[in-house]
Amino acid sequence: MICSMFSTMFLWFSGNTHTGKKMYISLLVFITFSVRSQDIRNTVGNIPMEWYKDYPHIGYDLEGKKIFKPIRNKDELDEFLDKMENPDYWRTVQDKMTGADIRLSDEQVDLVHRLQQGKFGDVNFNEYEPAIDFFSNEVMIHPVTNRPQDKRSFIPSLIEKEKVGKLVHAIKMGWIKPRRPKETTPQYYDLWAKEDPNSILGRHKMHVPAPKMKLPGHEESYNPPPEYLLSEEERLAWEQQDPEYRKLSFLPQKFACLRAVPAYSRFIHEQFERCLDLYLCPRQRKMRVNVNPEDLIPKLPKPKDLQPFPTTQSLVYRGHSSLVRSISISPSGQWLVSGSDDCTVRFWEVSTARCLKTVEVGGAVKGVAWNPNPSICLVAVSYDDTVVLLNPGLGDRLVCTATDQLISSYEEPEEVMDQSVQWAVAEGEGHEQGHRLILKHPKAVRQVTWHGKGDYLACVMPDNGSSLQVVIHQVSKRRTQNPFRKNKGLVQCVSFHPIRPYFFVATQRYVRVYNLIKQELTKKLMANCKWISSMAIHPGGDNVICGSYDCRLAWFDLDLSTKPYKVLRHHKKALRSVAYHRHYPLFASGSDDGSVIVCHGMVYNDLLQNPLIVPVKVLKGHTITHDLGVLDVTFHPTQPWVFSSGADGTVRLFT
Amino acid sequence: MSQVQARFFTENKKYLIDDVPFSIPAASEVTDLSAVINKLLEAKNGHESVQLCVVCVCLQEDVVEIEYVEKFTAPQPEECIMHDDWISSVEADSEWILTGSYDKTARIWSMEGKAVMTVAGHTDVVKDVAWVKRDGLSSLLLSASLDQTIMLWEWNSERNKVKARHCCRGHAGSVDTVAVDPTRTKFCSGSWDKMLKIWSAESNEMMPRKKQKTEQMGLTRTPLMTFSGHNEAVSSVLWMDAEELCSASWDHTIRLWDAETGGQKNAITGSKVFNCISYSPLCRRLASGTTDRHVRLWDPRSKDGSLVLLSLTSHNGWVTAVRWSPSHEHQLVSGSLDNVVKLWDTRSCKAPLYDLAAHEDKVMCVDWTENGLILSGGADNKLYTYRYSACVSDAGA
Repeated sequence: MICSMFSTMFLWFSGNTHTGKKMYISLLVFITFSVRSQDIRNTVGNIPMEWYKDYPHIGYDLEGKKIFKPIRNKDELDEFLDKMENPDYWRTVQDKMTGADIRLSDEQVDLVHRLQQGKFGDVNFNEYEPAIDFFSNEVMIHPVTNRPQDKRSFIPSLIEKEKVGKLVHAIKMGWIKPRRPKETTPQYYDLWAKEDPNSILGRHKMHVPAPKMKLPGHEESYNPPPEYLLSEEERLAWEQQDPEYRKLSFLPQKFACLRAVPAYSRFIHEQFERCLDLYLCPRQRKMRVNVNPEDLIPKLPKPKDLQPFPTTQSLVYRGHSSLVRSISISPSGQWLVSGSDDCTVRFWEVSTARCLKTVEVGGAVKGVAWNPNPSICLVAVSYDDTVVLLNPGLGDRLVCTATDQLISSYEEPEEVMDQSVQWAVAEGEGHEQGHRLILKHPKAVRQVTWHGKGDYLACVMPDNGSSLQVVIHQVSKRRTQNPFRKNKGLVQCVSFHPIRPYFFVATQRYVRVYNLIKQELTKKLMANCKWISSMAIHPGGDNVICGSYDCRLAWFDLDLSTKPYKVLRHHKKALRSVAYHRHYPLFASGSDDGSVIVCHGMVYNDLLQNPLIVPVKVLKGHTITHDLGVLDVTFHPTQPWVFSSGADGTVRLFT
Repeated sequence: MSQVQARFFTENKKYLIDDVPFSIPAASEVTDLSAVINKLLEAKNGHESVQLCVVCVCLQEDVVEIEYVEKFTAPQPEECIMHDDWISSVEADSEWILTGSYDKTARIWSMEGKAVMTVAGHTDVVKDVAWVKRDGLSSLLLSASLDQTIMLWEWNSERNKVKARHCCRGHAGSVDTVAVDPTRTKFCSGSWDKMLKIWSAESNEMMPRKKQKTEQMGLTRTPLMTFSGHNEAVSSVLWMDAEELCSASWDHTIRLWDAETGGQKNAITGSKVFNCISYSPLCRRLASGTTDRHVRLWDPRSKDGSLVLLSLTSHNGWVTAVRWSPSHEHQLVSGSLDNVVKLWDTRSCKAPLYDLAAHEDKVMCVDWTENGLILSGGADNKLYTYRYSACVSDAGA
């Protein structure tokens, strides 16, 4: 009975081939124990049997009595021996529910084999029985089922009603637009919409047709109307005219018939000209590259970021009655000296513009220079052919008296050298005014400049024909030297190198740098300008600026080249003076247009970085008199202030 | 006419009235309000009438709170004292005016502008002057000069005799500024040689030793203490109190020094050269005049050093002199190279209260005395005095 039940079950499962294998195993267990004994059926159900692992029993039978595990004392060795010796070992399985070993019968083994092969468990089952089609494509007279139609097929669907309701609501709310009118206008893509109209036109513009020949007119006819024929005077005029300016290149002629027309003598010539026209005519228009002029300007920092620099006029030092040619400031920055054409030298207090002292000299003052050594109080003043060393008596009293002592302690050397310059000690009234030493030169002295140590003084006497243009005086020994034997051009100005023993001499076109120790020419700077007017040496000593009468300011970097590193053309008129600041990265230039231009000139210690030059301020204040504006500029030694002296007889301080 | 509730208050103890709201007409103006307050004051204190002005009005709940202060009238010019040369410095006390001039003298004037005394003895321009003290009829005064000395003079006002007591030598540059300490026993000088020196201001009538020349210059005196630290000329020096010194310099710094130990306590760094400083103990602020056109106020106690509290900008030239009011914590006066003296109230920093444009040339010095007199001297050789005080209103006004 059980077996027949199984067979139906197998039949039931055979359709499901994937889950088949698992089913067989659990069925197998079921089969075995049901075959062996109905009475010791375990009632614990399908639970993991390891729950009973630690108990002596394995479950309960139908009566509720414990089913005890069979006594097992087999170890691995016994198992192995059993495997080796027991011929039925392969068909012995353990019943998990009872723990007992079961030996499978032949039928059971056969069943397992069949199931493993995927066959039906029932031997008698024929899986290839002829099929009977229940449903076919042929329409049958009778329906398969004779079921009457449902009621719901006659009543409206609630789900559909709900769906329709939703759609209607959406239409009402405007979320869905039914029957949107179709756009009747055709959609075209404008192929050329994005194209630059200029470019396509440009392509057409580019085309330059060959020049056309002039069409023949009546005058070229063999039988022109009489008004086209030239009269005698016209013919003469035509003949006298230059062939280039003739209106017609031939004389119209009248012939009786075409046969009488001779060969055209200028035919080859005209054809050649026509070929030349075709050959030489322009065929393409050249487009110039559009460059924004703004892009060509170099990127410079804003002047605002380069402060401090002088911006406003603060003080005006009034008192001179004629143009102030030269100014110089004391090394402490407390006093200013100015020399003017009214034959006076004035000493000013910088902070109040008070004139503390006026010294009269015998001529229009061309140059003044304050001794840069703070322990000597001397001012060199040049007028006519004389250089006077003044002791203004300003500043520290001890320094002033020490300077006087230094000058008076001079002892005459035994052998008197023949010098071109006479040294004399000032006496009498001049001495009371402050004159200490008077140096008479053979020619008019234009410029005086001190060496940084304050002992040497260079004077310039411009003269084109002589070799005696520059002299260097040694004040402590009252000696004069002429450093140059040859005349190399009109000397404009000279300057000492601030640190090293170099000497800069500016002639009209060139600046020559001499080594004073080796006594040789080291460098020759080409200023690229017509006439140098002034020169200043950077306190570091490696940069030089030159102002020129042709409105240019040239900056030389001596490490870079002998040509100007930069040429500034900001002034409208000739430059008269240039100056560097001792500490701040500033330089200034004064010009005949009455303005002082202050520039930021940063020199970097890094050799690879070029100096940064930015014009920062135009300072105006001087009035132009006799076509002269600013004559001299100089910086305050410690503050970012610039002084300028002008032809209007004033000195101005810009801070 | 509608009425509003108003409550009057003031910070001035002298003019305090009861803190009760009053009902005043809404259309009241300053004069009406002033009259109301004056009535109240009269009721409280008896006959004391002062012109008042309303400074600030603020609305709280439904009561208008009105602050009132004493009203000042514009400075009234009083005297114009002519000098022979530029006036470099001025200092006045309650009776006498002392000026230093570029004609190498210091002069004493009475308040009415009468020349009392000419103190001559310096060999160069007098750059600064100061009163030291007065006992009875004799006074001590100081003059600092470009000839690197400071002279201590004794002046007897009865006999009108001046005598050089001491000549203080030691500076190696022109002495541009002197300041007497609050105890009146020492003074400090600042010079172009970057040094500050402290000297004794006592006038001891010791018998001169043999070698010293006494007939003209007085006994030579040496400094008690020297402060070095500035990198440029010292332009102005003052005493904050008995132990603390403050100096301004061309090296763009204001430095605070301990006068006892000689150590530097604080440094305020500006961006321009300082010409002058002034300190007000009332508001504890430093005012500085620089070589740009601003008057700047600083807090000297701030540690971070460079705190500008206010910039007063109206001048067109360098500010050469600045002075706080000795009695009012908000007011100061400044003189500039643009020939104008300006009176400022720090509560309105946008514009000055008054421009005193009397000078025809650079203003070099200003002073403000305890009794409300403003003095200014300049390069036009004139010393102007102005009366500036709270105006007492006429009876019944």
